[in-house]
Amino acid sequence: MLTVQNYIDSLKNGKILGSKCKKCGNRMIPLKPVCSKCGSFDVEEFETKGKGIIRSFTIIFVAPEKFKDEVPYVVALIELDEGGSVMGRLIGVDPYRSEDIVIGTKVKFEVLVKDEEIITAFKIDK
Amino acid sequence: MKKVDLIGIGMTKFGKHSDKTSRDLLVEATREAITSVDKGIDLKEDIKGLFVGYFTPSFYEHQGHSGPLITEWLGLTGIPAFRTESACASASAALATGYFAVASGMYDVVMVAGVEKMTTLDTPGVTDALSIAADDVFELGTGITFPGLFALMAQEYFEKYGGNWEDLQAVTLKNHHNGSFNPKAQFRAKISAIAEKIAIKKGVTFKDEMDFLKSKYNALVAYPLHLFDCSPISDGASVAFLASREISSRFTDNPLHITGVGLSTDTLTVAGRPDLTTSEATVNAAVAAYKMAGVTPNDIDITEVHDCFTINEVILSEALGFFKKGEGLKAAKEGRTSLSGDKPINTDGGLKSKGHPVGATGIAMVHEIWEQLRGEAGGRQIKDEPKIGLTCNVGGSTASSMVFIFERGEK
Repeated sequence: MLTVQNYIDSLKNGKILGSKCKKCGNRMIPLKPVCSKCGSFDVEEFETKGKGIIRSFTIIFVAPEKFKDEVPYVVALIELDEGGSVMGRLIGVDPYRSEDIVIGTKVKFEVLVKDEEIITAFKIDK
Repeated sequence: MKKVDLIGIGMTKFGKHSDKTSRDLLVEATREAITSVDKGIDLKEDIKGLFVGYFTPSFYEHQGHSGPLITEWLGLTGIPAFRTESACASASAALATGYFAVASGMYDVVMVAGVEKMTTLDTPGVTDALSIAADDVFELGTGITFPGLFALMAQEYFEKYGGNWEDLQAVTLKNHHNGSFNPKAQFRAKISAIAEKIAIKKGVTFKDEMDFLKSKYNALVAYPLHLFDCSPISDGASVAFLASREISSRFTDNPLHITGVGLSTDTLTVAGRPDLTTSEATVNAAVAAYKMAGVTPNDIDITEVHDCFTINEVILSEALGFFKKGEGLKAAKEGRTSLSGDKPINTDGGLKSKGHPVGATGIAMVHEIWEQLRGEAGGRQIKDEPKIGLTCNVGGSTASSMVFIFERGEK
């Protein structure tokens, strides 16, 4: 099912879902219900391996109300091995040492739960 | 399609207006816009429709339904009126709607407006309100913020083309310099003046402007962006009148012709974009606007771009075709975008120094083009009688981009 709820439920099970166009083969991550290349509605979901590299990152010092007590924390754009990027929290790194966080470093997906809400997160893949 | 002229424009000072609501600000801006119409305008007689941009009135004033609210407040009840929402490009959405209305021949004179009354909330409250311009499901849940989204762009830019945070300060310094000449600006002060004020207050000294910008008084907001890389929280309103060119001489002999309109979208998710160092929506909007106006980037004499964060001025200056990809930061450092440069950008101080009441910004940008092309910009007037101006107003993380081109009419 190419729905938002299915995507979130899959995160809980440790899987980031993408979708693939049955007509032209275009892969979309995270999943989309309609092909961004050819416009076909004939798309199917697939599971990514949840592995990729750090494409860009920032360290949040001024947070929204909900995350105020967690600053500073790192948010990164992760380019997955299957192509396409997702945004996630980067955990297991020191937010006070930006110089230690290196673009291109390999990471893997990890589920973070806060107040029963799922946060997409990644940690360094050693 | 009918040709469309800008016949008058006005705006409030931007900043904290603790004693005024959004409707008070709109009335004030309307009053000024009326006085700007050279031969006068009678709202009740002339205005056939009203479109008003306001991004999140429900957050700031627990209010929706801005159309009938503002028409009632201006004595215009009865005319068609509604709110346009496109995040920080909401006023440009109003301007585009007004343009469509006049160009189609449906109405001959319309009023377009923008407003945001933000200071009713504290900083975390404003952060929450602004954040809904980003994808709530796929991105906001990570704890990302708007400064954070633009920080991701800055990091990718530095990684791909070189440069660093210190280089970006050319934009901060330039825009505060320009804003010091703008009576409407929220921070009508150069960075040196701000630094001096803080130095006296805190009993400290700064060697120079960069020493201040590197100090703890310019705190990190979202690495690598600091407080002075960000536009402020502001209240303000802007109002403009559009008329069909067939009848615009009834109002002024010195209008601005709207010759180019380009509108485009990008993925709402930043992660959905293959390249964060450009704004694809702006590239597309600019190409469409240039084509419609029959001009090239070289023909543009004066430009207003959406510097919600310093990096965005650089990215947009490239996306508009003024500089090659990866060369915008260098151009800013070399002063090419300053008041006396070959490509002046944000002569009014930009969002950075002028302020950014988000729903009012698009038409406030046009206000600067109006003054510059009519030679009314005072201490920040650029030389050689500029003839063609451009505004580029973006929504959210540049997921919407709206470009307008204006040409000075006959005198």
